[in-house]
Parts: sequence; C-alpha cells; structure tokens
Amino acid sequence: MKPGYFTIPDDPSEPPRLLGTKCLTCGEHFFPRRAICARAECLSEKTADVEMGPRGTLYSYTFVHFPLFGSMRVEHIGYGVGQVDLPEGPRVQLPLAGKQEEFRVGMTLEAELEPLREDGGNDIVIVRFRPVEAGR
Amino acid sequence: MKNVAVLGVGMSRFGMWPDKSNADMGREAGMAALGASFVGHIFAPVMSGVRVMKEFGLTGIPVQRIENASATGSAAFAEACWAVESGRYDVVMVLGFDKMTAMIQSSSASTDSGNLEDAILPAGFFALWATRRMHERGTKAEHLAAIAAKNFNNGALNPMAQRQSKEKVTAEKVLASRMVAWPLTTMMSCPIGDGAACAIVGRPELARKLNPGRPVVKVTASHLGSEKYARGHLFMGPVVGPAPMTVDGAKSVYEQAGLGPKDLDLVQVHDAFAIEELEYYELLGLCAPGEAEGCIERGEFALEGGRVAVSSDGGLISRGHPGGPTGLAQLWETTLQLRGEAGPRQRKNARTGLCHMMGGGSVCVIHILQRD
Repeated sequence: MKPGYFTIPDDPSEPPRLLGTKCLTCGEHFFPRRAICARAECLSEKTADVEMGPRGTLYSYTFVHFPLFGSMRVEHIGYGVGQVDLPEGPRVQLPLAGKQEEFRVGMTLEAELEPLREDGGNDIVIVRFRPVEAGR
Repeated sequence: MKNVAVLGVGMSRFGMWPDKSNADMGREAGMAALGASFVGHIFAPVMSGVRVMKEFGLTGIPVQRIENASATGSAAFAEACWAVESGRYDVVMVLGFDKMTAMIQSSSASTDSGNLEDAILPAGFFALWATRRMHERGTKAEHLAAIAAKNFNNGALNPMAQRQSKEKVTAEKVLASRMVAWPLTTMMSCPIGDGAACAIVGRPELARKLNPGRPVVKVTASHLGSEKYARGHLFMGPVVGPAPMTVDGAKSVYEQAGLGPKDLDLVQVHDAFAIEELEYYELLGLCAPGEAEGCIERGEFALEGGRVAVSSDGGLISRGHPGGPTGLAQLWETTLQLRGEAGPRQRKNARTGLCHMMGGGSVCVIHILQRD
C-alpha cells in the first residue's frame, strides 16, 4: 500500500480513496491509519490497512472566507470545509469543492484530488470532497 | 481537593503588544516568594519558562513547563493544585504567557497535506459544529450573536480585556461583522493576542496568614481528562462536536466539590467561538439538552440579571485568548469575583465559580473555586 492518507490513482479520472485501518478483532474502521484499535473496550493490535470511500455523506459543513493556508491558487481565497461520514464508519474533516449554496447536510459527496501548488516540479495535492451531481 | 487555596492572582492585559517580551508580560503578571513554579506556554521557544522565571530572581526553585494547547494554563494550574494537595509543595506559582502574534508571523506557508490544522482556519472547524447544531436544533446565527454581544459587554467592564468596546455591543453589530467561516463572524470568534496571567496556590492557612480578613478562595475540585473513543471521533484536525469529555469532567468536579450546576454563581468556558459557549451550557449541565437557545433568548447567562453569569470577564471572545495564559485569566476572574473584588462586573454575593477549558478539542480541564 502507498504511504500517506489517500491513494493517487494512475488514471486521473478515478477518484482517490482514503487510506484507513480496520480492526480485525471488533471490525471498527479508522482514518487515518493506526496500529492499535482506539476503542477502550478493544485495543486490539490485530489491524489491517483498508481503502475507504470514495463516497460519503455530509454531516456538517462551512464556508471559510479566508485563503487556504499554503495554497497559491486564487480559487482557494474562499473554500468549503466539511465533516464527511464514510460508509465504513469514520468521520473525516476535509476541504470541500463547490459553493456554499451547493452544500446541505445529508448529501452524498465524492473524494477528488486537488493540486495546492507546485513544489520543485512536483504538485502538492490534497484530497477534498465534491457534491455528487444528480444522476451520476 | 481539600487543602488548596488561591493565594494570589495577576494579569498583564491581553492584546497585541509587539514591544513587550514574554518576560515583560510574565513579570507584570507574576509575584515572588515561592516553593516551585509551573509555567505554561505554547508558542514560545524551548526553556522560555525558566528564562521568564529568572525575572523574579534566581532562587533555585524547581521550574517545570506544562503545555496542553488552549488548556495550557489550566493544566499547569491543575498540577500545581495537586502538588499542594499532596503535600509536595506549600506554595506554587502558575505562570502562563504567550505571544500569539509572533507565532502567526513565523508560521510560513508550509502546508503538510497530512496536517489539516496547517491548511484550514480554526474557525472553519468550529463552524462545522454550528452548522450541525443549526441542522439538529434550529439554532439561528442570532443566538450565536447574542452570546458574543454578552461577552463583549462583559469585557468592556474588564480592564484586562483585549477587546473593550466603548459603546454597547448589539447582536446586530456582531452579525454585521466580517464573515470568517459561515455562520461565524469575526465578533463571534476570539482575537489573536499576547498576554500573561498568573495564579499562586498554597495551603489555605497561608492565605489566612498572608491576608488576614480577606476572603479565602479554595480550589475544591480539579479535573483533567482526554477524549474517549466514540464513533465519529475526528483523528485529523481539532475535535469539534459535542465532546463527552466535558460531560465526564463536569460530573467529576461536581462530585469532588459535593455540589451541582445549580449551585454555581459564575462560569468561565472555552468560548473561542460563540457556538462553543452555547454547547457548554448543556454539556456542563447549566441547562438541559436542547434548552440553550431558549436560555439565551431569556438572558439566563447574563452578568446582570442572569441566573448564572457565564464568561463574566468577557470570555475568550472579548478578554482574549493568547494561549498559555488564557486558563489562568479565568482563574484570575473567578478569584476576584469570589473575593468580591471584581469592581463594576462584580456578581453579588458570588460564592462558587467554575472554570472550563478545552485544549485542541482533545483535552478538557475543569476547576471549581469556592469562597471559604
């Protein structure tokens, strides 16, 4: 499995998936990856890497009216942030793509990669969620 | 906790002070004659605690740094109280200082894609809590604005507050201030600032000996806890959401002190953003779940006329939140109130106060102070 927090698919049309951990004893899933199950009743060390998403449900959202730290891109002057519940269980807190009016609690979103800036010939990318258009 | 009193408190006004060093502010806030010192700072360099303590003379006493994000000062205070309670020291100074302005200037655009706190403004995270509350309870931005207006007007009565409005602040004015992260505006958010605050704790008989006739303020409960796992826990970015650790911490301090939320005269909370104060009303048991909005509409937490004064010194929103000293500013306020020395913002006959702080959304520190 690749290092980090999400996959970077070779096919750019493929959505990234989040890299997490499944507890093999109690079944709880976590993001990001961890070595020991976090449940106080379990604490099992028998865990496995899993890919999660790419879709999730919006638990809450906001729209920040300031630049995204570390980004050199003008569209990051204002940006959405959401808490997204993955079907496997974990809740993740990540930037959202789209306008504030497009977000509503309970909607389905899908992960995508977003370049923040270029650094020595490499793109620095983050993962964010975008509302899934109706019918897709 | 049975054998701990606050012997003294001090503060250096919170604000943006480019010409003042941590040592300057720390010296202003502190006093001498000690057994040991616990120092809290978040942003200052390694060994800043010992260096600032040299301002008080070099006496060889133990100096220990404690850090727990926003709860740094409160966490240092907790350790000092337990050190006195256990008999390890007779007197401990707790000094908190920070220059958040210097931290902001030095943090460059070095975003690590794995560290969300580097990329997203803190207000963005806490706004998520507000949006969810609005979805579940029908909370309005006006409720958040009313909390902020209350805290601004309390802070106007506090000479140590960073934001002191000359005219009365209305909810309309809070709503009209610049949007930071919907629905949170600048006036619903705490400012960036510098400052220092200090508390000295020791055995109660020392308090009586040092200041005969002055009311003795005892620390009757002290709790420091971290988060328990529950589904939905956020492992990346600050944990925002109805944190059960505040409920657990409140239960612990009420049991330790042998009282309940109805016995409190004043409460200080971690109101870095107005939504937090709203949620803590319920999590601390000041009202039942779902009742916060109604209580706000009825002014139940106002300094004047409220059934319990919350953020009587202006809270983080108005008094300020430099980091290390913030929790000690709450203890400064509560001590003055319980002694009857809070001037224009004095709560009549205040006997019992609670101070609550969160650190990084992942630790919770609560103290109860009572006039003996």
